[in-house]
Amino acid sequence: MTSVEMIGISKQFGVSVALDDFSLNINSGELICLLGPSGCGKTTALRVLAGFERSDGGKVLIEGRDIAGEPPERRRFGMVFQDYSLFPNMTARQNIEFGLKVQRRSAPERRVVIDRMIDVTHLSEHADKYPHQMSGGQRQRVALARAMATAPRVLLLDEPLSALDAQVRETLRDEIRRLQLEFGVTTLFVTHDQHEALAIADRVGVMSNGRLEQVATPRELYERPANAFVAGFIGTVNRLPARAGNDGRWEVLNRMILGSEPGDPGAAGIIAVRPEHLAIDRRDPGDWRVDATSFLGPMSRLVTSSPEWGSLLIDIPSIDAADLAVGSRIGVRLRDDVDYVTVISGAAHESTAQR
Amino acid sequence: MSTEAMVVLAPGPSAEAGISHSSRARRWKPAGVVKALFLTGIALYFIIPMLAMARFAFQNVPVALLSPEKLLSGWSASGLWTAVTDPEILSAAKTSALLVVCAAALNLALLLPLAIVTEVRRPQLRPLLSTITLLPWVIPPIALVVGVAATFRATVPWFLASDFSLVPFYALWAMPFTYRALDAGLRAINARTLYEAARGMGASLGTTIFRVIVPNIAAAIVAAAALTAAMVLGEFAFASLLLKRTLPTEMVNYQRGDPRGGLALALLVMVLTALALGLVVRALRRRGLDVQTTGL
Repeated sequence: MTSVEMIGISKQFGVSVALDDFSLNINSGELICLLGPSGCGKTTALRVLAGFERSDGGKVLIEGRDIAGEPPERRRFGMVFQDYSLFPNMTARQNIEFGLKVQRRSAPERRVVIDRMIDVTHLSEHADKYPHQMSGGQRQRVALARAMATAPRVLLLDEPLSALDAQVRETLRDEIRRLQLEFGVTTLFVTHDQHEALAIADRVGVMSNGRLEQVATPRELYERPANAFVAGFIGTVNRLPARAGNDGRWEVLNRMILGSEPGDPGAAGIIAVRPEHLAIDRRDPGDWRVDATSFLGPMSRLVTSSPEWGSLLIDIPSIDAADLAVGSRIGVRLRDDVDYVTVISGAAHESTAQR
Repeated sequence: MSTEAMVVLAPGPSAEAGISHSSRARRWKPAGVVKALFLTGIALYFIIPMLAMARFAFQNVPVALLSPEKLLSGWSASGLWTAVTDPEILSAAKTSALLVVCAAALNLALLLPLAIVTEVRRPQLRPLLSTITLLPWVIPPIALVVGVAATFRATVPWFLASDFSLVPFYALWAMPFTYRALDAGLRAINARTLYEAARGMGASLGTTIFRVIVPNIAAAIVAAAALTAAMVLGEFAFASLLLKRTLPTEMVNYQRGDPRGGLALALLVMVLTALALGLVVRALRRRGLDVQTTGL
């Protein structure tokens, strides 16, 4: 069981900043996803942790001990890459065995570990195949078995599912999670796919431009995004005009509500609201006109607009949308159970800090 | 010698290209016709001199006396037999064979670690290395030999006296080919992630290179060695300037006394080199390893 602390890591490549004061704690046995658009620095963070990149500043602590001076081969981390990186001259079994040989484990001991890894990754039919004889999903399972065989202190996965097709991706994603829990290995998983991150992680760290924007559980990240970037990157959001009240809360669609940041009394701002956090009111035909509806199974999505507010996406249960015709007039409000909105612009600190 | 090596190492693609062009020509596409004519022209340019050379070497009839009825008379391989059994030629061939082995070994010993480390640790230096490995060809052999001879004759005369003084020249002279062959091989296997995967599992640099990288670029290594061999077997300038008796210089000497035998010998060496390279390429293809000679 191993805990990881990355503190104030910075890294530049030439003039471009890959990591800017990046800090992240990974608790022992936890799976953390780093999520962000390409070029946001998530892979650099993983490579700094692995020891393949030297950070310009900051510290990496493993169980409280600084490992800055340790080269990658001494860190005892397991790594899985996007392009599998299996050794083409070795069979699946030999690939898994490689790390064990490096650790100078005895032959009988190696056999026990290999058999177990082949068993848990369901590779028994493919154990003696070479990488080029296997499918992408099988290769990545071998890579996973190879990384786990050496009982690494930390498992690092760099976009491990990105090269696979959709169905395999989902199966393997669940398999990675199952193994991670079974072995209780501390894991950092880098991905640009939000569904992957939300489905698999204990906590997700959202990154942009080398900074960690928010680290939270998938639910919290989705329900209470800390800022405009996180709100916009994960799921769909509407932008709505709002006005700050005297207590720093925000007035949105005629309701006072807590925002991610307080506003100066009376200040105008823009806030983000998810489509499913809105509800419609049919008895009080308001300013909103239904422009289009689309059926998404259990939910239906309405595209609505008003001259004053602009356009809005609203997700409501399909059962309530059944007889809603295009052109009909409705009222729109925040759902009663919504108690938080993300402020996109107009927050109090902006006027002082000019950020 | 460079053209020879290239032509020989790429029999597959050019043959295929030839077929597709001729089939296109049959449908009378103007571009196809031009390509077919062009390729035929080039082929004739190479083949006619070789055929003429073969006729001269094996048919003992002066050109002036050639006539249709004499087409089949006077053919003999005795000149070739005399040449290949000549003790001077045999000893020169032995020297050249030794030089091939030593030059290929030295060349690989210098370039293989350099190419691997550059690829996996400092890929941004690759263009620089690519330029540096071309440098030997910027300096003409005569300048190189005179400079080296002037330096070493005064300091270590025994070095220049030995046949092995050619080895460093050849190892350097083959660099433009061999570096590119190795570099292409490394890029084809994505050497950098293999390196990182192995290091991440705790493997030392040596284990990573010899157990992971080298086995997977075997094709490129063999190609590099074969290119060095082809070059050494055709190199004349260095050997002649340093007064060494290698196969090429000895062949020139021999030809002065027996032009027919000399040419027959030259033809034999060429065919054997081509066959050997062809076999290497074919053996590697059968193992699923393709010889990459991109960048040549």
